[in-house]
Amino acid sequence: MKKKISKKFILTLPTFILALALAAIFIFLGFWQLDSAREVKSRQIPFQERPLTLLSKLAKPGANLSEDAINRLVTFSGRYGIQLIAPNQLNGKNEIGDWLVGLLEVENGGAILVVRSSSSADQPRGDITVEGRLFPRQFDDRSTKSEGQLSRLDPALVSALYPIELYDGFVVASQEIVDGQEITLPRVFLEPAKPTTPGNYWQHISYFIIWLLMAAVVLFLPFYQRSRKESP
Amino acid sequence: MKGVVTRFRIMAMLAGVMSLLLWFVELPVVYLIKDPELTDKVKWIPFVHGYIYAFYVLTAIHFTAKARFTVKQMILFILAGTLPIASFIAERRVARRYEF
Repeated sequence: MKKKISKKFILTLPTFILALALAAIFIFLGFWQLDSAREVKSRQIPFQERPLTLLSKLAKPGANLSEDAINRLVTFSGRYGIQLIAPNQLNGKNEIGDWLVGLLEVENGGAILVVRSSSSADQPRGDITVEGRLFPRQFDDRSTKSEGQLSRLDPALVSALYPIELYDGFVVASQEIVDGQEITLPRVFLEPAKPTTPGNYWQHISYFIIWLLMAAVVLFLPFYQRSRKESP
Repeated sequence: MKGVVTRFRIMAMLAGVMSLLLWFVELPVVYLIKDPELTDKVKWIPFVHGYIYAFYVLTAIHFTAKARFTVKQMILFILAGTLPIASFIAERRVARRYEF
């Protein structure tokens, strides 16, 4: 009798360990969905402007732009290298135009794309201090690729032209100062970027419920199997 | 048993329709077409699919336990709700087996 019980125990134990492990994984996935739901909710809070910050405090060349850095007002100094035209860009007033984009070599290292003006005319390039808003890079082309033009505002497109590390994203300049004097240019206005996190709050909550349900099912199955065997 | 089967069949059909919409409408719009306006119009699909699938799982467990199906069959019935056509197949099989 004693031998029979221990054999049954040995056969049942791995099943329960497996069930517990699977349930733990499903619960983990459930809480991951709950975190995503919370993240989505936190992004639904109306946009709040935060103080002007040094670019170097929010981003590093060669690294992806963090969610916290997106839409922040930044300032930095440096020198413009190449200037390009970004055709067919849509501004915050739903007007399509060709923008002047400069690649600015930042004093502290690295270079960043700066949308200088809504006019495509060439502009001074010397030492300059820029203030503007930081945006995530664009993923879709607005025009066909050609020399001297940027089909989208994406540092990856200029990385081959420029031998130094680039900052992710781009800055839409609201002010440029040379020798203490502000350069007057027709500026581009863009609304702060919308959150890029996919999904919505109740969708993530539904997935949270499903994962918890799956964890409960996994824990229930061994008992169901046992009861099925015991009462044919 | 009749109520359990009817509930399962209704949920299997709903889950099947929502899976079709999810796989062949929502996912292509979000990840292939990438049009923000269209994406906005289809964002209800994964949300509704999520809740319908949760209810589908409950009805599938209730039905398979009541019908004394094996654990393997129970798992297959639960997973059928995640694939576009599988839940329709499960519904048809149940309908043929339990004709009231």
